[in-house]
Amino acid sequence: MTVFTAMLLGVAMGVIFGFALEKGRVCEAGVIVCQMQMSRHAMLKMFLSAVITGLVVLAFLVGFGFAKLSPKATLFAADIIGGAILGIGIVVAGACPGTVLAQIGTGYKDAIFTFVGGLFGALAFTYAEPTLLKPILTAGSYGKMTLDQLLGLPFPVVALALAAVLAGILVWLEKISPWQDEVGPQGDGLPAETARREPVAAPAA
Amino acid sequence: MPSLTSRSWSPYVAGVVIGLLQIPAFLFMGTALGTSSSYVTISASLAQFVDPSIAQIKYAANHMSGAKNWWQVALIGGIVLGAFISSRMSGTPRWGASPFWARAMGAHTPAQRYLMAFTGGFIMVLGARIADGCTSGHGVSGIAQLAIGSFVAVTAMFGAGIIASNLIYRRV
Repeated sequence: MTVFTAMLLGVAMGVIFGFALEKGRVCEAGVIVCQMQMSRHAMLKMFLSAVITGLVVLAFLVGFGFAKLSPKATLFAADIIGGAILGIGIVVAGACPGTVLAQIGTGYKDAIFTFVGGLFGALAFTYAEPTLLKPILTAGSYGKMTLDQLLGLPFPVVALALAAVLAGILVWLEKISPWQDEVGPQGDGLPAETARREPVAAPAA
Repeated sequence: MPSLTSRSWSPYVAGVVIGLLQIPAFLFMGTALGTSSSYVTISASLAQFVDPSIAQIKYAANHMSGAKNWWQVALIGGIVLGAFISSRMSGTPRWGASPFWARAMGAHTPAQRYLMAFTGGFIMVLGARIADGCTSGHGVSGIAQLAIGSFVAVTAMFGAGIIASNLIYRRV
């Protein structure tokens, strides 16, 4: 596939991705941070729904031989250290590397600073990787390791079983905390009694 | 029924839509959804104007060309466009910073929030590159492929996020 065709496909998929992130309200810092505080679960519900759908889709694509998986290598040190740094960054920024772009699309100005900060973060990693970070990145390396291999079962079986378990968790979560309450009346993740808009910045005339 | 003009969809509908995007990703690109490696593609391509030697760094060179890398750059550009259209169709455009921040942190100037956003963005993508994936690459895509490293990275991400968010902010 040419780079140009790939980019056309990318834009088309991105528009759908951005639509879903905005409608799911994970373009809101309030939704992201309140999830991390474990007070409201709109982000987790959307995240797990995407995971469950992915598991079912891949169970079929792989089961019928339409696609080959490309799991990331298991690098315990890098996954734990990098994952923890990522989690702290998400809390400070109020966004993930993907949802910050939906924030920009909705009009949040601070998201532009988050994105530019992210570009510098990527650049810092690129310069530090060959010397400083290599030893950390390669510690505890186990190559491409997946749950189905460890269990010695076919991928579709384990994928569908995990999907069923996660779906059960979502049914329970929705029962104890309905999503409408979690995104709030303004859709910004703030509960009804505190959802009055304060003039953080003047609205565009 | 969720419509294109609704302010919000149930998170289940939105999540299913994102999960279905794995179909074109795997069938046409032979890869899973992800967003954070495009930060390397964009920043290294821009840095090349200032420091041409960055193309000698293997990690940068691996990200600067090829259909997969530029597909992901186009994907994140599409996210901006999609969220823009969606928020305008539902009449929910945003400006400045979310009212969440005043509630979580108390009074602060826009400049303070912008500095914080920059810092958070830096830490977030640095961590994502160390872990080789973010909420989408490790989270949505890695767990869907049953990758052990992705289970570990997502656990570390939520673990650190839960501790940090409860330490830094008041509960809103």
